[in-house]
Amino acid sequence: MTDHYFEFSSPVKLVAGFRALEHIPFELETRGATRPLIVSDKGVVAAGLVEVVMAAVRAEGGNVGPVFDDVPPDSSMEAVEAGARVYLESGCDAIIAVGGGSVMDTAKAMNIMATEGGGDPRRFAGYNNLTHRLKPFVAIPTTAGTGSEVTAISVIKDREAGSKTFFFSQFLLPDVAVLDPRMTLKLPPMITAATAMDALTHAVEAYTCLGKNPLSDAYAEAAIRRISRWMVPVLENPQDGDGRLALAEAAAMAGIAFSNSPVGLVHALAHTVGAMYGIHHGAANSIFLPAVLRFNLPRCRDQIGDLLLYLAGADVYAGTSVDRRPEEAIGRIEELKEKAHALCGLPRTLAETGKVSRDALPEVATRSLDDGTMVMNPRDVTYEQALEVLEAAWD
Amino acid sequence: MNRNPHKSIGDPAPVAGPGPSYSVQRRYVAFMMWLIARLLQAASAVDRTIRSDVADLPEGFSFCMRVRSGTPALTMKKSGDGLAVVRRSSEIRPTLAFEFKHVAHAFLVLSFQESTPRAFANDRLSIDGEFTNAMKVLRCLNRMQALVLPRFVAGRALKEYPAIGLAEKLALAARIYGRFVIDLFRRDSS
Repeated sequence: MTDHYFEFSSPVKLVAGFRALEHIPFELETRGATRPLIVSDKGVVAAGLVEVVMAAVRAEGGNVGPVFDDVPPDSSMEAVEAGARVYLESGCDAIIAVGGGSVMDTAKAMNIMATEGGGDPRRFAGYNNLTHRLKPFVAIPTTAGTGSEVTAISVIKDREAGSKTFFFSQFLLPDVAVLDPRMTLKLPPMITAATAMDALTHAVEAYTCLGKNPLSDAYAEAAIRRISRWMVPVLENPQDGDGRLALAEAAAMAGIAFSNSPVGLVHALAHTVGAMYGIHHGAANSIFLPAVLRFNLPRCRDQIGDLLLYLAGADVYAGTSVDRRPEEAIGRIEELKEKAHALCGLPRTLAETGKVSRDALPEVATRSLDDGTMVMNPRDVTYEQALEVLEAAWD
Repeated sequence: MNRNPHKSIGDPAPVAGPGPSYSVQRRYVAFMMWLIARLLQAASAVDRTIRSDVADLPEGFSFCMRVRSGTPALTMKKSGDGLAVVRRSSEIRPTLAFEFKHVAHAFLVLSFQESTPRAFANDRLSIDGEFTNAMKVLRCLNRMQALVLPRFVAGRALKEYPAIGLAEKLALAARIYGRFVIDLFRRDSS
């Protein structure tokens, strides 16, 4: 009997492309919602993106509730509670999240309280502690990287507990994710590059880690093709709407891929340097990705070799011997890093971030071993090996 | 006449069934959990690597590994720099829980047909609690298996067999099994 087994779930409706925002009134109406709370942050509001969303909804006679824009960069339990109060006191019946990962995570947790009528959201923290559907939830990402619009996870900084509170449930998934190129046109080049490399890392780790399955592979492949094709043109021409949309689609597809085939060592290291030194998550992923792929080569040489097809195209893949494909694939990722560095200064190494001292690497290695993503890495990682990877990524 | 619409003439014979009955699997899993808990208790008393990870767990830490229905289950708690079996598990609420979705999944893992990392990848079991603590407990379980099991069996249970010299492994395994036997004659902590 075969021992093959996998699970795959992707119930979020993707509404993607030209004039996608204008589909929101229809999506709200079909879910019985008439007064959505808009959740965002001050930067997104200042960029005028919330106004674009509200105009699209109101143009069809749609009603929009209040805007809650007090979401801090790393989210917070206070923001979740404050936003939920606004929702309940204003008679809202749906949530529209407009922003990056923090806004999405906050809105997901807020939706728990909105549905439950208040109370402490912490009682639903952890794994699968929600048992019924939440209020209609529309996610509009303004970055193209985290994939939060298609993931069932919310991580909220909890100052009271002195830690981050983690929520996981299929019910946290948005009902609709709207990918509209207007939402990412103003993204600065550095953030564009960091988030694109974040999405690339999601896809590559989904493709090479233990949970890989035929469907996550399909999403990962498509995401890698789009990012390798469009990241550099978008950095060269930030107003390229087609490229912006392709990157937003790639981020969503990479999000679906890693939701169904979780990430590994790259993220363990990136989470650690993010927590210890505040290094941008996408930039950290970009720094560690080639070094981790080289470390994982002994266990997944074929999969890494396959990446060359998606990174470089059929001609290069066919013209490269099977033995050389893994190194060529890693080389292509390094080329993307070099181009991103040349175009917008995205750091290529830990040293270039200017935030980490080399003396701190042993502490980073120790802490990264306790990151939950280590479980899915194709190779077990010892302290010494983690330190070797960190040294390889240093300069 | 072919009465089965899903079966046509010439189909191969049905594949083998799922193995032992669920009740047999449940008894086997219960025995293995009993054994694992006591071997881990013994290993945490004699192996420095495991003690180092246990020392980093928070005071008052406890964990359980169980099947979704609640049994079979094993429950352990931090006791000094070691781990101790909790006999009356109903009296504590574990800080961390590893839960197999079905007894058949626990059977796959505990009969070494599927490695623990593969079981996670296949969504056979879930973790409820702090992941940092879960990673420490998993490292302890992996180390214990690498020490007490023959290499060809441990290789099926682990992602990678660690770099342990044969002499070191045999010496530690002897001490763990010795401690295991001694503990059997003592009353388990509770």
